Amino acid sequence: MNPIVFGVLFILIAPIFGGLLAGVDRIVSARMQSRVGPPLLQPFYDLGKLLQKEARQVNPIAEPLLLGHLGFMAATGAMLVGGTDLIFVAFVFALAALFLVLAAGSVNSPYSFAGAERELIVLLASEPFFILMLAAICKVTDASSYQGVLSSAVMVAPKLPGILLAFTFVATIKLRKSPFDISTSHHAHQELVSGLTSDMSGRLLAYVELAHWYESAILAALVVLFFNWSVPLGLLAFAVVYGLEVLVDNSTSRAKWQLVLRSTWVVTLLLVGGNVLALFLIK
Amino acid sequence: MSSLIVFLVAFPLVVGGLLLGIRNSKLRNVIVVLAGLVVAGASIVTAVTFGNGDAVFFGLPNGLTLGRSLLVLEIAIAVFVVAVSIQHRRILAPVLVLGQVAVSVYLELSGKMPELEPGRLFWFDRLSMIMVLIIGIIGTLICIHSLGYMRDYHRSSPLIKGRRTVFFCLLFVFLGSMFGLVVSNYLPLMLIFWEVTTLCSFLLIGYTRTKETIGYAFDALNMNMLGGLGFSVAILMLAGQPDGLDLAKLTAGPATAALLPALALLCLAGLTKAAQMPFSRWLLGAMYAPSPTSALLHSSTMVKAGVFLLLRLSPAIAGSSLGTLVAFVGMLTFLFVSLVGVTEQNTKKVLAYSTIGSLGLIVGCAGLGSPELIWVGVMIIIFHALAKGLLFLVVGTIENRLYSKDMENFDTLLSRLPLVSALALTGIAGMFIAPFGVVVAKWTAIRAFLEIPGWQGAALLVIMAFGTSLTLFYWGKLLIKVLSMRSVSEYERSVEKRISRFEWLAEISLASGVIGVAAFLGVISEQVVGPYALATFKGTSQSFLHIEPVILATMIAALLFLPALALWASRHEGYNTADFYAAGRPVTSGGVMGMALGATQTVTLRNYYLDGVVNGKLVFRVGTIACGVLLVTLIAVGMVAR
Repeated sequence: MNPIVFGVLFILIAPIFGGLLAGVDRIVSARMQSRVGPPLLQPFYDLGKLLQKEARQVNPIAEPLLLGHLGFMAATGAMLVGGTDLIFVAFVFALAALFLVLAAGSVNSPYSFAGAERELIVLLASEPFFILMLAAICKVTDASSYQGVLSSAVMVAPKLPGILLAFTFVATIKLRKSPFDISTSHHAHQELVSGLTSDMSGRLLAYVELAHWYESAILAALVVLFFNWSVPLGLLAFAVVYGLEVLVDNSTSRAKWQLVLRSTWVVTLLLVGGNVLALFLIK
Repeated sequence: MSSLIVFLVAFPLVVGGLLLGIRNSKLRNVIVVLAGLVVAGASIVTAVTFGNGDAVFFGLPNGLTLGRSLLVLEIAIAVFVVAVSIQHRRILAPVLVLGQVAVSVYLELSGKMPELEPGRLFWFDRLSMIMVLIIGIIGTLICIHSLGYMRDYHRSSPLIKGRRTVFFCLLFVFLGSMFGLVVSNYLPLMLIFWEVTTLCSFLLIGYTRTKETIGYAFDALNMNMLGGLGFSVAILMLAGQPDGLDLAKLTAGPATAALLPALALLCLAGLTKAAQMPFSRWLLGAMYAPSPTSALLHSSTMVKAGVFLLLRLSPAIAGSSLGTLVAFVGMLTFLFVSLVGVTEQNTKKVLAYSTIGSLGLIVGCAGLGSPELIWVGVMIIIFHALAKGLLFLVVGTIENRLYSKDMENFDTLLSRLPLVSALALTGIAGMFIAPFGVVVAKWTAIRAFLEIPGWQGAALLVIMAFGTSLTLFYWGKLLIKVLSMRSVSEYERSVEKRISRFEWLAEISLASGVIGVAAFLGVISEQVVGPYALATFKGTSQSFLHIEPVILATMIAALLFLPALALWASRHEGYNTADFYAAGRPVTSGGVMGMALGATQTVTLRNYYLDGVVNGKLVFRVGTIACGVLLVTLIAVGMVAR
């Protein structure tokens, strides 16, 4: 099948996947907190309602920037599974995240701005990891595209244990889970209010939510790369990682940005750098 | 061809001399614009005449020879440097320059200077062509921009004594010598042009003649003269070798061990001029020069002379331990200055760190040497010259309007100077947002690093991954400031109307250039840069030259998105929207918050500079020491290899 078809399919299916994942997340979190939790499809109802509500806009550029965020996030996923060069995809992924930062920063308000700056910091913390991860996967499989890695005879995970371990750490940032959700907060009592989404409402907030679902789907697709010999095993691994993230989210409080930056860099340097070094020395 | 080149070198020098005598600013405007157009036209004609052919070598027209003119020029430069140094009581620069003269005089008197083949004085190939176009077109635009900029500069700083005749003279003298530098094949000839560019830089940094700027000017002079001395000693060593002073023959293939010491010294010269660590300090001091100087000398062209020389040397040093060491100096410089860049608040200095970092990437590519990496190096030269030149000019314009270079004072720029913001966004996008140009180059570089075996490959990857993310952070901060909005007064809106036509012309042309080069990326890659890279390294694989349509489309979309958004927003009438959320406090869209007991407070938002995590000064010192150690090793390796 033509890889472009996969790209188009991703754009259509990823929101459903991301939305369901958010639904499961909320039920599991609720159970951890001895609550019943909302119905599985609640995230979709929420999205529908957000789209109907009037958007309270502080300036004219936030909406186009958020559309850019959503568009580039969807494009990242489509390019990823659609067979574009993996390292290039890493750059587009960062670009997509940057648009969210710019949308929040454009508001010029204290809460949004603090959230935007912190999102930029987590981007700085996580970006080296994604570049190195994709470069290492290309190195072990001698492939440059998603399909190339999946059809490679080399099993990725056994060769990249350090990077897989670091993934569970860094994914916390991209999934916006505690202790690394320093730029935004789903918990009402925290000092940042809701960080970079403070001044987004109505359909603007819906774009952010939808982009986040794409982001979750992209992370799932990235985990599959590690288990390139069996896609179901990869999805199972993603489920395990995600379960861990929910547990961590519910059992930790937010860290300070300094800790997030330092710890992520140290993990990236030691686990990922070490793994990459071993790869280059052995191969 | 030969007369064209002589014209390119001589014409700006003559115009420079002429401008020295012209005090009427209207007349000066006319002369600068016309002469600029002639220079740009001549550079285009030269490129067209050359076509896409192979390298050509030639001497002076009508069988003229250089005779002893090089020695005379060198002595003249030395006399000037010594005189200025005595005036300002400096000792290092005269020592260095007299060392150079001593070497040249010794060579001349001892008769060791090999017979020069008259037909191989100049070397013109695709790389020279690219450089000539950059110097001719971007250089002209920057000169035209200066006409407006310098007027406002002196208006806003009345205490500085205007010496605009000297300023414009130096710009043109610089253009002429830069043309000469990039077409020289005979190393002693290149050295003369090299030294003249150093002098122009020195005089322009010290333009305001304050104690501070004179100090920075001498920093630049000392470091570049050290490189120049290295260059002279290299010439001394090469004079004994067959064809040693013929750059093209010298770099035709991997160097023999006997040549390595001289090559190490030439690399030293290249690294000083490209402001690589441990010599980065001079470029930061150079930021005190007027902004067009920073655009022309310290980002678009002169610092490129350093990487130009290293790219030329690349086939000779690649694969040797010398090449690897050079590459690591460049890549570590990229990492360290990117880390320092996130702690810097002065926009011009952020641009300077980014410049040093980009040059570091090119040095890395030149040291490692392969068709892909040479392609990357040349691509970065092109994009950086356009985008960074544009950014320096824009920051200069902003500085003359807002009276500040501080990134923090650029906030809500989109509301205050919408068109300037659109231009700034084009430049920033050209440098980094759009995965075009520099980012495509980085991506190709990562691909190439994957093929380098052993710990070197792994180290280069890690450096690249962290360095790239750091640049994302400081560009992101600048973008947040530029791309924010508030309601502005009529007076604030009128500020933009007072920017001169010269500045608009130059900035809009450069911004169009950024977009144009992005649009024709495929053609430039396949027709010019690719053939050059393949010819230099005798490579055959062409796969890297082809850029997928999906990638090209994404890049253009990302490049145009923000500038287009800024233009749209500046025309958007319906900016009568809600106030931002301030935890229930009343606010106005001007950013004033109501506090307790009826007090009000204006909101000030300040970027993060990673205080407490990254200590910029310490990082800079560590980088300087680390690269210094590498550099000493590099020269030692060269000497031992003999």
